[in-house]
Amino acid sequence: MEPGKMALPKNAPRDALVMAQILKDMGITEYEPRVINQMLEFAFRYVTTILDDAKIYSSHAKKPNVDADDVRLAIQCRADQSFTSPPPRDFLLDIARQKNQTPLPLIKPYAGPRLPPDRYCLTAPNYRLKSLIKKGPNQGRLVPRLSVGAVSSRPTTPTIATPQTVSVPNKVATPVSVTSQRFTVQIPPSQSTPVKPVPATTAVQNVLINPSMIGPKNILITTNMVSSQNTANESNPLKRKHEDDDDNDIM
Amino acid sequence: MKGNETMLDFRTSKFVLRISRDSYQLLKRHLQEKQNNQIWNIVQEHLYIDIFDGMPRSKQQIDAMVGSLAGEAKREANKAKVFFGLLKEPEIEVPLDDEDEEGENEEGKPKKKKPKKDSLGSKSKKQDPNAPPQNRIPLPELKDSDKLDKIMNMKETTKRVRLGPDCLPSICFYTFLNAYQGLTAVDVTDDSSLIAGGFADSTVRVWSVTPKKLRSVKQASDLSLIDKESDDVLERIMDEKTASELKILYGHSGPVYGASFSPDRNYLLSSSEDGTVRLWSLQTFTCLVGYKGHNYPVWDTQFSPYGYYFVSGGHDRVARLWATDHYQPLRIFAGHLADVNCTRFHPNSNYVATGSADRTVRLWDVLNGNCVRIFTGHKGPIHSLTFSPNGRFLATGATDGRVLLWDIGHGLMVGELKGHTDTVCSLRFSRDGEILASGSMDNTVRLWDAIKAFEDLETDDFTTATGHVNLPENSQELLLGTYMTKSTPVVHLHFTRRNLVLAAGAYSPQ
Repeated sequence: MEPGKMALPKNAPRDALVMAQILKDMGITEYEPRVINQMLEFAFRYVTTILDDAKIYSSHAKKPNVDADDVRLAIQCRADQSFTSPPPRDFLLDIARQKNQTPLPLIKPYAGPRLPPDRYCLTAPNYRLKSLIKKGPNQGRLVPRLSVGAVSSRPTTPTIATPQTVSVPNKVATPVSVTSQRFTVQIPPSQSTPVKPVPATTAVQNVLINPSMIGPKNILITTNMVSSQNTANESNPLKRKHEDDDDNDIM
Repeated sequence: MKGNETMLDFRTSKFVLRISRDSYQLLKRHLQEKQNNQIWNIVQEHLYIDIFDGMPRSKQQIDAMVGSLAGEAKREANKAKVFFGLLKEPEIEVPLDDEDEEGENEEGKPKKKKPKKDSLGSKSKKQDPNAPPQNRIPLPELKDSDKLDKIMNMKETTKRVRLGPDCLPSICFYTFLNAYQGLTAVDVTDDSSLIAGGFADSTVRVWSVTPKKLRSVKQASDLSLIDKESDDVLERIMDEKTASELKILYGHSGPVYGASFSPDRNYLLSSSEDGTVRLWSLQTFTCLVGYKGHNYPVWDTQFSPYGYYFVSGGHDRVARLWATDHYQPLRIFAGHLADVNCTRFHPNSNYVATGSADRTVRLWDVLNGNCVRIFTGHKGPIHSLTFSPNGRFLATGATDGRVLLWDIGHGLMVGELKGHTDTVCSLRFSRDGEILASGSMDNTVRLWDAIKAFEDLETDDFTTATGHVNLPENSQELLLGTYMTKSTPVVHLHFTRRNLVLAAGAYSPQ
């Protein structure tokens, strides 16, 4: 692209002509043609972000329309996030002075690959394999219950669910997780009837569990939630809620 | 305007002017005669007048040294002692010219041929006074693989072509096609076997330049099956099924502006607009660590010549020194008034040079983070830096198209190479320092005679005290050749161990 070429054809969109005029007013005379497109994209993105936020604020305040106050609030809240500038010079000099006082650490010999401690690396696996064994059929109105259990890293054995147990019912082997406090939401057992999965309410499959997210708090929350409609169930016995396998949500 | 940091910097810091004592007397008398207190107030409040004794500078000298956003460098800024010498090479026993022989000879093992000692190491028994002590900064010890690399290096050195005005190097240009102006960083390994490209789509791509393909290590289950005692275990751990010429590394969330291979070819660093520097393993081709510290785009990063340390510079106006096994930086080099565009290690790994958008080049001491040199003279943001192989000189290139040469020990500008018409974005000295190659956005590579540029330097105590040197107008004589590409800016330059030039750029059709 040749720099300095800024002649827009006469039938260019009005927005592009406006943007070219803005650039000219700001004193920018030489720019590639792609700059206008990029500036327009940026303007569009900024305006839609602000207006989306304003809509959320006005609906939160239960107003029928979006008004100027909402937009003002949206701009204010976004300004701290997007248009930050680097720290001031004296602050940088200060932290530099602090950091530079400590002597350079000695290097341990024969250390293999020199990497930071594992929690700061990206080398841990960020997935867990889903067990293939399907649960036995369950049905009926299921109330999620919360039970807390301390889990070590051995796999928990499945039990036919009584609400107090920790493990997920009908699983052959729950995948080994990090040693952590584990909250499982337990669903009371249901009779065996054929189950038809209902997409809207079935549970979510195993999701990616990022160990780094677990790290500091060490809480792994697995939920076995099936939201079911009372009436719908009772009215149509065939419409069973399929209690799916381990659905693990990280909260 | 209140929140704008650049404005604050300008208002609080003083613009430095260097002026000879005679000129200063004249200026003072003139202003007092005119009784123009306004100007005198401004001078007193916002200017720092650094007076030196000696001949006033000519217009040409002044023009050469001005340009920085904060004025020139004060004299005491360039007074600290800098150890610009090279560290001593460790002694390695080299087997005699047998191509098949590999590995070192053990000291105690009797050999039929007498092993030839590493001539580089034993040449100077006494300590070079300008070289830093060996343990000034902790450096990683040499592993066996490093020693093997050094032996290969020495073998290649014997086959190196000696360059000069009558023996110019050949230039092999690697053009990145279909990059659509997305190529933002390039690096080549020291032995010229791998090329890495950082792109605006946030990928890093690694190519093998030699016929040997890129392989990743086998999975853990397969690794347990191989025979660990066999001689070619390093070959066996590689998975043949993954052999390919190109590996793509995904992970960054913004354009990749800097790339650097480690000297042992095990790691690759990449720095990106997302504010992180990522360390990639070249054995598994996965990301190992993300170093978060800059919260703003990181424009450049480089591994130290000995590995383990690396430096990064970014939009937050600081350069940071990291070690691969610390998740936080070890040193913060703060002082620039604008973005740090370019960061380079000195060959002895004790100093870091940074080029910035405030048009100055600063040299920082790794040991204590102090700024030991400030070089002003460029008239635009600096985009390329390179140290000479002997460690004494620094060459810098900026958007003004000039390449400036600096004597580090004395802290003076010693050369100015005019010729390029657009930003000089890559610079490299040849392996023995005879030729300086510069690549620019004007689609040319120019070769300059470095030996001639540095000879006859009148650097003595007198010139050091005044802080400037007479620069000869000899750019034309020093220019050895101009090589034009079709329309490819030269983003990276590299001299192979035998002094062949590799250049890289992305074809951008007009």
